[in-house]
Amino acid sequence: MTHKWQRCFFSSSSKQWRIKQITKSNFSRILPQVKERIHGADFICVSSQKTGTFSAPWRRILPIDTPETAYCKSRDAAERFELLHFTVCPITFQGTKVIAYPYNFHLFPRDELNIGMPSYSFSCQTSYLTSMAQEGFDFNTCIYNGISYLSRVQESASKHQNGNCIPTTIPLTSSKPSFADAIFLEGTKSRVKHWRDACKDSSGSSDGALMKSLRKHILGSEVYGTRPCINIDVCTDNQVPLVAKMLNDVADDLVPLIIPHKNGTAKGIRVVLASSQEDRNLLMEEIQTLEEEQNKHFRGFREVIDAMSASCKPIVAYNCLTESAFIHSKFLAHLPSTMAEFMCSLRLVFPCILDVNHLMKSVRPLRKANNLHSALSYIKRQFFAPVEMETPYEVSEDIDVTHGHDVLRIAYVFAKLCSILKIFPSTGQLPIGYRSMMDFENAFYPCCVSIQEPLDAEPTIQIDKNKSKQVSTEDLIFLWGYENGISPDRLRKLLCDVHDAFHGGFQVRIIDDGCAVVGFEKSGSAERFLKDVESGEVESGALLDLIVGGLRVAGYNAYERVCKLGVWEGKLPNSLERALLGEPVASTAKTGMSEEHKSESMMLELSDL
Amino acid sequence: MANPCKSRVFAPLFGSFPSRNFFSHYFSTISIKKVTRNNFTSSFEELRHHVREADFVALDLEMSGITSAPWRESFEFDHSTIRYLKIKDSAEKFAVVQFGVCPFRYDNSTKTLIAYPFYIFPRKELPIDFPSCEFLCQTTSIEFLARHQFDFNACIHEGISYLSRAQEAEALHQLGLADVDHLPYSECNPKETREMPLVSFGDILFTERMKIKLSEWRDSLLRNQNCDYHFEENSSNCKLQFRTDFFKMRPSLLLSGFSSHQLRLIQQVIRKHFDDLAFIRINDENSLSQNRIVYTDWKDDRAKLMEEVRKDMQKVTKSKVDAAVGFRHVIDLLSSEGKVIVGHNCLLDIAHVHSKFLGPLPSTLAEFASSIHKLLPYIIDTKRLLISELAIQRLMKKTGTSLSSAFSFLCSQMVSSSDTSSSNSRPFFKVEVLTDEESSSNQSNPGAKHEAGYDAFMTGCVFAQICHLLGIDFSIYKGSDVVEHEKLQKHLNLLYLGWNSGTMVDMKTGQEIAHSTVTNLKKRYPKIQFSNIVLVWGFQKKFKPWEMKDIVTKVLGISSVTSVFYLDETAAFVQFSKEQYVQDFLVLKDTVERESGPLSVLHPLGKLLEGGNTRAAKYDIYKEICSSPLSRVLFADQTEAMGIKWKTKVEIQKLEQADVGEGGSDRKNEVVAEKKILRDGKPHMEGSEDCLSSESILDVLYSSGSLIFKKVRT
Repeated sequence: MTHKWQRCFFSSSSKQWRIKQITKSNFSRILPQVKERIHGADFICVSSQKTGTFSAPWRRILPIDTPETAYCKSRDAAERFELLHFTVCPITFQGTKVIAYPYNFHLFPRDELNIGMPSYSFSCQTSYLTSMAQEGFDFNTCIYNGISYLSRVQESASKHQNGNCIPTTIPLTSSKPSFADAIFLEGTKSRVKHWRDACKDSSGSSDGALMKSLRKHILGSEVYGTRPCINIDVCTDNQVPLVAKMLNDVADDLVPLIIPHKNGTAKGIRVVLASSQEDRNLLMEEIQTLEEEQNKHFRGFREVIDAMSASCKPIVAYNCLTESAFIHSKFLAHLPSTMAEFMCSLRLVFPCILDVNHLMKSVRPLRKANNLHSALSYIKRQFFAPVEMETPYEVSEDIDVTHGHDVLRIAYVFAKLCSILKIFPSTGQLPIGYRSMMDFENAFYPCCVSIQEPLDAEPTIQIDKNKSKQVSTEDLIFLWGYENGISPDRLRKLLCDVHDAFHGGFQVRIIDDGCAVVGFEKSGSAERFLKDVESGEVESGALLDLIVGGLRVAGYNAYERVCKLGVWEGKLPNSLERALLGEPVASTAKTGMSEEHKSESMMLELSDL
Repeated sequence: MANPCKSRVFAPLFGSFPSRNFFSHYFSTISIKKVTRNNFTSSFEELRHHVREADFVALDLEMSGITSAPWRESFEFDHSTIRYLKIKDSAEKFAVVQFGVCPFRYDNSTKTLIAYPFYIFPRKELPIDFPSCEFLCQTTSIEFLARHQFDFNACIHEGISYLSRAQEAEALHQLGLADVDHLPYSECNPKETREMPLVSFGDILFTERMKIKLSEWRDSLLRNQNCDYHFEENSSNCKLQFRTDFFKMRPSLLLSGFSSHQLRLIQQVIRKHFDDLAFIRINDENSLSQNRIVYTDWKDDRAKLMEEVRKDMQKVTKSKVDAAVGFRHVIDLLSSEGKVIVGHNCLLDIAHVHSKFLGPLPSTLAEFASSIHKLLPYIIDTKRLLISELAIQRLMKKTGTSLSSAFSFLCSQMVSSSDTSSSNSRPFFKVEVLTDEESSSNQSNPGAKHEAGYDAFMTGCVFAQICHLLGIDFSIYKGSDVVEHEKLQKHLNLLYLGWNSGTMVDMKTGQEIAHSTVTNLKKRYPKIQFSNIVLVWGFQKKFKPWEMKDIVTKVLGISSVTSVFYLDETAAFVQFSKEQYVQDFLVLKDTVERESGPLSVLHPLGKLLEGGNTRAAKYDIYKEICSSPLSRVLFADQTEAMGIKWKTKVEIQKLEQADVGEGGSDRKNEVVAEKKILRDGKPHMEGSEDCLSSESILDVLYSSGSLIFKKVRT
């Protein structure tokens, strides 16, 4: 199959870059190698192929979005769509040479353990799948041989469901046992003692088969592997540590294992009797490896994410907000409701993330480049950035050149940008004239809110001084219900004279079919206009005509509410209408954040629309 | 009909055939002609021919999923309204990935049969956004398809696209408008198009040059008909950009290589300086746009030209839309031919047909039925035949009614072409197959189960065999007349509402019919009284299933609860023995909830209410929740996403309760019970809260006592 962009990409890079393709069949074989590369890397570039990116044009991240609304949009996409490819590419810098080891993982959220996880269902965006198909995407490989995974939260939830024995870590409680517990403990203690004695005793004697089975029946003794064990039922979770402590006191050759109930609480405790101290250690080791095996099986592809996290290497990605929302939602936990929480949670796992978009915006001429390809060709034309990249793979069956190329483009652009911006690409002593990558880390375009500083400190939308004027979110209004298919110019003319709020100058942008955003240049105009329309105190006949004709207006808070509540309709006007219907904002305990948000005004730039 | 749920429930029973041969067959394999967009046109013509000749057509669909959330699965507790809502939700959210059509014809001489599995994919063929541009996939269903070697690449790369009738109308409307609006630029109202100020030096230069060029060209046209020579020579430096030819019998210039900005400047020049030139942009069939300047003799001629251009454009649009209609042509064909449609448990399939090819599903079952009846007047469900025909029942004994088991039971002879001599009944239906060399050779899964084409084939075979067993002779009927046979007549257009339901819908009248002769459906639950049901959800996950009944009976008496049914880990239906208990329970719950003192902790309901998110309402709320377009995996999350804030929904007792029994949502009478609750006329709620609390405390003491006892015992 020939692919247009690939051809031009290859012709420009003159070399065929190779990418290792990883599916279910070769995953465990290649995993150690991947981990090793990750630990040896300077940076780790990541990219992914999803089943969709946004469900409607207005649900893309637009320049009118504040970090909060942009996050809401990303969160929705991450929860809705599924990952099909995840490409990880550890890179190292050697002077002007970049060594890249791209690994393209084929994923599918197969329910390997039959527990309804990792995902019950997912959405597909038809147009997105079509364009993937045009690029030669192989859906069969993903669905048939994709690697499954569980997020960290799902893993801990599923362990209980699976009903496996997990060794207790014996958290010794200082709490005194209640009266009932004390009685229970006494009873159990004598039972265990009796059982232990019997076991020790019977090991020497040679009873008949009948006696053995009788004893077994009376004592309730069972066998765990080759060792004898006994099950103790518990009523509540807090009895578990008490029992463990008690067992510790009885003898040091008893190993307690929790028998979990389906809903996660403990059903009982299985006490395994080891023959000696050494045997006990051996048993513990056995259990440990068993658990690790099981964990590996549970985590699946997440092993790679965990390795990336453990290595603490800087992560490089394009469209970071969406990408990291996907990573968080699929491999870590459910996405929290606010951006601040999300960033905190993310930073715990990946302390340093570099957004290529953000780096690109730091190079002035690249500001307008809206995809990697155009950025790359622009860099090639305009800058001298002697960077060479190679993928030192031998040709083998895992190697392919078609899937997962995005990550190499990201790595290449990133390397070029490092050279242009004079970013010193590793830690250590900073040479003179170089900048530290710390200057750029954890700032996500389009909401370049650094997660180091609190979100509410200052509105920090990047400002371009020589371009059009900045508009505060307070001075934005949404208009819809006007004549369909009207051009922005005509709409502008139409609005010019309808209200004196428009006399102070304003900008109009169409952001969705039948919905426009008006940015007032004079502060307070928006509020005045909204108030007048709402109260019906309209002087001009033209405006009245428009309103009678169906014109509707809403302030920016309506839009915020749409994103916050997730009123995701196909068309923005429908969403705004529903938000205006007065469904009260979800009584979030966390709205302390959003309250502040309301009072503060974000500076946005409309010219990018 | 193939879907993972059903096949799990009715495990195919192979190998339990009776020894007697009912019929014999010459039958080798079925040819399955895979249809993608590459061979759609030719296959469609073939299919058209076969359908015209056919006696009946069997259908089967493969979908990307069945239920969008576990609690949307089909339960025995479901009211028929709920069943329709669930089917509607499924048909709206999921995509059809394969559509099997298999026309059957009774013929004594030439026996031909082809199954057509059409791979379909809702590709975006037109520059219009339809809401269907996103669909849901159920992970288990995709896995299920993968297990049966479904070719996803063929589906997504090569699937045939489609537009529903509603979408087609919308597309014609939108594209039609778009053409008039902006395509022939010069048609626009000159006042509308804003004057472009010539700011840059380059623009001014370009404008001037164009002015000269165009006037030269026009003059040369006027001077002498043989204009090409002059012009080409004069403009040697921009030869690539102009080409003179004829457009609609008029001399014209084909513009190429200009930027859109330059084109706009040219338009402006023409508008300002040349009355007799017209600027036209045309999109041809391959959606390449052409920009032309056409010379018109006089003003009327220009109007005429514009008219012609517009007509052309409409034609192009129409053919484009027609191409985009794609697979729906097959549905239109089935509809217009009026053939008998045979499916196996096919209500969901039919719902998909409606939502994908007709238009959005109506909100009620009756409307849906009448709408479908207009499209497909004769539908027969083989599942219905299998279950309700006693003759077949007796024959099949305990064999399941799933398609594969019915097929292997009834049509085993077709598959294992046995000897003809032992048969005492005449060969009924001889199936011979048109072999398609190419497609049968490179199939990965020839004649496999859960391939829509093969399933359709199996359905058709089962139907034919049943007809045979019922003594229906196809040879004396022509086309769809076979449905006139009294034995078929009574099954015509009767479809089951979900596989585990006793309710059917008559597609002709839209009436629901309770199935009387259910023999093999186990009645696991006592008779369901919807008015006796309370839906409780949002309790904590550690709340154990068996606790629910314990708790409620502790409060309302030992015989109050008939059954408890868990929707998922966060929600349960509680059916009471009397309708009165419903109200009692809701009021009590509300009271305990409002209580902040020790009562709320000690009360038996306290355990249920732990976490403070436990909500309860009458059965009606389930309808509301099922009709929501949202789908969260857990029921409690779903209601939260829907913005349900109240804790308990209590209905104020009316004088004589109206039609609560039927469950018609008489919303006016419902009041969110945050403030207004009537506490009158309740048998054991009489008096004040003191009574309640003392009673409850006793309960609590009793229960805690038993707990201690239990612990001591262990």
